[in-house]
Amino acid sequence: MELTRRQLLALLGAGGAAAALGGCARDLAAADVGAPGFGDGAGGTVEMWCRSDTVNGVQAVVDAFHAAQDRVRVRLTPIQNGQYVTKVATAIRGGRVPDVIDIDDIYSTMFAFRDVFTDLTPLVEDLALGDALSPGHLALATKDGRHYGVPFLGDFSVLFCNTELFERAGLDVDEHTASFDGILEAARAITALDDDTYGWSFPGNASGALGFTVQPHVWATGTDLIAGEIGDQRGDVAGNEALRRTLDLERTLWDEQLVPPGCFADDASRWSADYVAGRLGMFPGGYGVVAPNASPELLDRSRVVLLPGPDGGRAFFDGGDNLCMPAGGKNPEGAAELIRFAVSLEQQARMPDGFYSPVRSDVVTPDFEAEHPLVTPTLASLDSGYAPTTLAYNLIYNQQDGPWLRMFRRAVFDGEVDAAMDEAQTTYDRILRQAEA
Amino acid sequence: MSAPAVTRPADAAPARTTGPRRPARRHGTLTHPARTGLLLVAPAVAFVVVFVLVPLVSAVGISFTNLPLIGPWRFIGLENYASVLTDPAFWRAVGYTLLYTAIVTLPILALGYALAVVVRSNRRGATALRTIFFVPYVVGLTTLSFLMLLEAQPNSGMVNVVLKALGITDGTTAWLVDGPLATGLLCAMVIWAVSGLTMVLLMSGMQGIPREVYESAEIDGASWWVRERSITIPMLRRTIAMTVVLSVIGSLLAFTQFYILTQGGPGSDTTTVVMAIYRRAFVQLQLGAATAMSLVLVVITGLVTAAQFWLLRERS
Amino acid sequence: MAAVTGTVAPPAGPERDTRVRRTLYVVGGGLAALVFVVPLLLALVRAGQPGDVVVAAPDGRFLDLSWVNFRLILDQPEIWRGIVNSVVVSVATAVLTAVLATLAGYGFAKFGFRGRGVLFGMVLVTLMVPFQAILTPLYLQMNAMRLTDSLLGLVLFYTTVNLPFCVFVMRNAFESVPGEIEDSAHVDGAGTLRMIASVLRPLVLPGAATAALYAFLASWTEFLGALTFLTDSSLYTLPVSLVNLQQGAYGQVDFGLLAAGSVVAMIPCVVLYVALQRYYVAGLASGSVKG
Repeated sequence: MELTRRQLLALLGAGGAAAALGGCARDLAAADVGAPGFGDGAGGTVEMWCRSDTVNGVQAVVDAFHAAQDRVRVRLTPIQNGQYVTKVATAIRGGRVPDVIDIDDIYSTMFAFRDVFTDLTPLVEDLALGDALSPGHLALATKDGRHYGVPFLGDFSVLFCNTELFERAGLDVDEHTASFDGILEAARAITALDDDTYGWSFPGNASGALGFTVQPHVWATGTDLIAGEIGDQRGDVAGNEALRRTLDLERTLWDEQLVPPGCFADDASRWSADYVAGRLGMFPGGYGVVAPNASPELLDRSRVVLLPGPDGGRAFFDGGDNLCMPAGGKNPEGAAELIRFAVSLEQQARMPDGFYSPVRSDVVTPDFEAEHPLVTPTLASLDSGYAPTTLAYNLIYNQQDGPWLRMFRRAVFDGEVDAAMDEAQTTYDRILRQAEA
Repeated sequence: MSAPAVTRPADAAPARTTGPRRPARRHGTLTHPARTGLLLVAPAVAFVVVFVLVPLVSAVGISFTNLPLIGPWRFIGLENYASVLTDPAFWRAVGYTLLYTAIVTLPILALGYALAVVVRSNRRGATALRTIFFVPYVVGLTTLSFLMLLEAQPNSGMVNVVLKALGITDGTTAWLVDGPLATGLLCAMVIWAVSGLTMVLLMSGMQGIPREVYESAEIDGASWWVRERSITIPMLRRTIAMTVVLSVIGSLLAFTQFYILTQGGPGSDTTTVVMAIYRRAFVQLQLGAATAMSLVLVVITGLVTAAQFWLLRERS
Repeated sequence: MAAVTGTVAPPAGPERDTRVRRTLYVVGGGLAALVFVVPLLLALVRAGQPGDVVVAAPDGRFLDLSWVNFRLILDQPEIWRGIVNSVVVSVATAVLTAVLATLAGYGFAKFGFRGRGVLFGMVLVTLMVPFQAILTPLYLQMNAMRLTDSLLGLVLFYTTVNLPFCVFVMRNAFESVPGEIEDSAHVDGAGTLRMIASVLRPLVLPGAATAALYAFLASWTEFLGALTFLTDSSLYTLPVSLVNLQQGAYGQVDFGLLAAGSVVAMIPCVVLYVALQRYYVAGLASGSVKG
């Protein structure tokens, strides 16, 4: 029983090496979705994860899937947004993956690039939709021409306008939302209407929601805050004129008290509250945060336009979810059947019921447009949608301690726009370098 | 782990008493055979080997790789250390953690000492007071952080309501989205919550001081403060050192209260070292680099502990 | 250990009572007690308030308390499942830790064998290596052993974290047992386990209670490990469930529900501590006083 010290150390070292390697040795094999006969006779239970932000839309599709057939059952687990990447990654590492995940499209990139998802190219090609299937979604899950995800639901950032307040202030929605000057003018006029009316709002302490609604102003000019291809990316922050003017606009709106004071601390938990209460003229947000909470009357009075650049141009965040199949899932055939069902025309046309946008523009018919006027503008110009393809989106934009939120708060609340941008440039570069290491 | 569990005396207290108090019996006796002894200690030793020593040794190896949470890995030599040691974000986290530690340590000791003075007597109610002062520590920082989250809200939170009632603020302070304010609030909460442990340890020490020592001093007419300074504190030197080491290590490893209350923000203003490690490993998915950061933390913790023992060492 | 149990032996102290000192004691102690008690009472009040009252400036509804939040907990599987998981993990950890620490404490205190010093040192080294500092290799190790995403894994992990201190306490407890008691039992033919179970139990029970309570409290509120080692949301412990509730994983954040969940997390700690505090405080102190 006696161990010498040397024997003991040798034992520990061997154990340690075994542990490190053992952890990597679990290979998860991907199913061949294009194989002949794949998917015939699918059955059993499909384990599905979704992020908590989109649980409504996903649940609706799952319910419809259950109603349409009784061979395949789906067990749906919602997971908190901020932990999603961590949970998916640890599940893959742990070798116990769900069969299908509904993943924020911007996160599908990093997994697609690490070869841990099933190649779904045959499934996408079967749909034969071309550019009518949200190209922004698809690009984020594509590596070397292969698609590792299928677009599923759209969560697009747009500008909601309260037409009643616009009319009372004698403003025109199209004209005054076409550029920053127009926005500022409209915000001043609407704020002046009443003691409790405001022109604009932003969730000043919610990194992800700010990334969703503020970046499109920059993209509308055709530039991004991240430059280069994956593997060789750097920040394009310091000296980015479109960004400087965007931050300047938000700062001016804050300084002139054209946004509600609660915006300073809002972590997006009260994001749309002012708009649905009818106190806000313009609200950069998404259909999913307005429609569930707003009265039918307010929705009738609302109009949706894309987010403008400083001097024109418009863009929106091509957000939402892709459906992906982690390699090694136990029920790939059931998962594939669920995915086909979820992107079918019928299910996509019902997306607005769960407060999301469809991801295929061929759902837009005159009837659809009449019924969902607030959803149609983005579908009518799907090519104005954009989202950065990078491995570092999470770190830069969605973490509360990331450089994006820090830059926004310093620029807007402290008024140090240029210093904030210079500081962010360094952090962007470092994070991008680290993420690609 | 949450700081309360860490600051429980598990962490360092017994370390100096490792040596057996009696001459070690190298061999078993008839009633206490050596084999039985080994069998009795084997399970506990096995746990420690598997879950502490093996990971510790393998950490060194992992820190020389680029091991990601998912995907292939390779050896990259000292690259992680080069990257970590030149990463301003890491040093900001280290700096913030040291600042936080510096802020809370002395107040915890002072408050704990004051509470110990209150509860060490055999007056009526002293036992009840001791129970009360220790309850927040028992409840733990995890639960207290959730409650603080409610009370730090603008307008509705009691922190703001009280400050407004006192005329100090207008009650709309958004504590958790401002680095210095959030730090201040967190520090106040932690000091309040964990000084109970310091109190218990100091109280036990105080009760171990023979009464006669004080009686002779009282005859000399020494005042309360003089007696406290010239008798109690010197005699408690080692206990005080112990409580300080415990609270410092707990502070250096702080995570939970920050994760719940600020998530490290705004920006990275309240990001602690453990939080930075967690993010690097499980958000950035870079286990290799995170492990290098961990080993740096082990070294920092060790240095701080050693420095404190040196500073508070007994004068021979 | 009895020597530090202040409630038994009349405690010493530098005070000789004077009227001024007594007044100071009553006023100071009373005020301090308020500072420590009021926030916890406030938590109880919050738990009785509906969510919209919790986030509103105090008004007439402040004390309109009800059980509605606790009923919501019962309706919210994510929360009550967290409570169940936490109970399972904490109780199992407490039992396992107390048993292992008792065995090891007995072995280290009363048995002579080669390597005893080295092995005891190894157990104590753990105290110098906080698990937060080896989180990543520990995660890989647990993952390789298929102990991530498993309540059993969490129990084993928590047991390890708590063992060193508890082994130390138990060794102290056994060392204070006079050898004669054991010897006479041996004459009666008692085996090792029966020796612990029947002969030595009354003498070491306080130590075992300390170990069990210590391990229970530590694992009941532990957060970082549970967050890291659990992926399957049906296995989340209460602190992780509450964080998810707070961050909106289960829909709109209901602050009343969060307050009630926190109070549920608070109650077992307070009850167990008050019930066992004599042992617990003495046990905690034994480390530092004997040091």
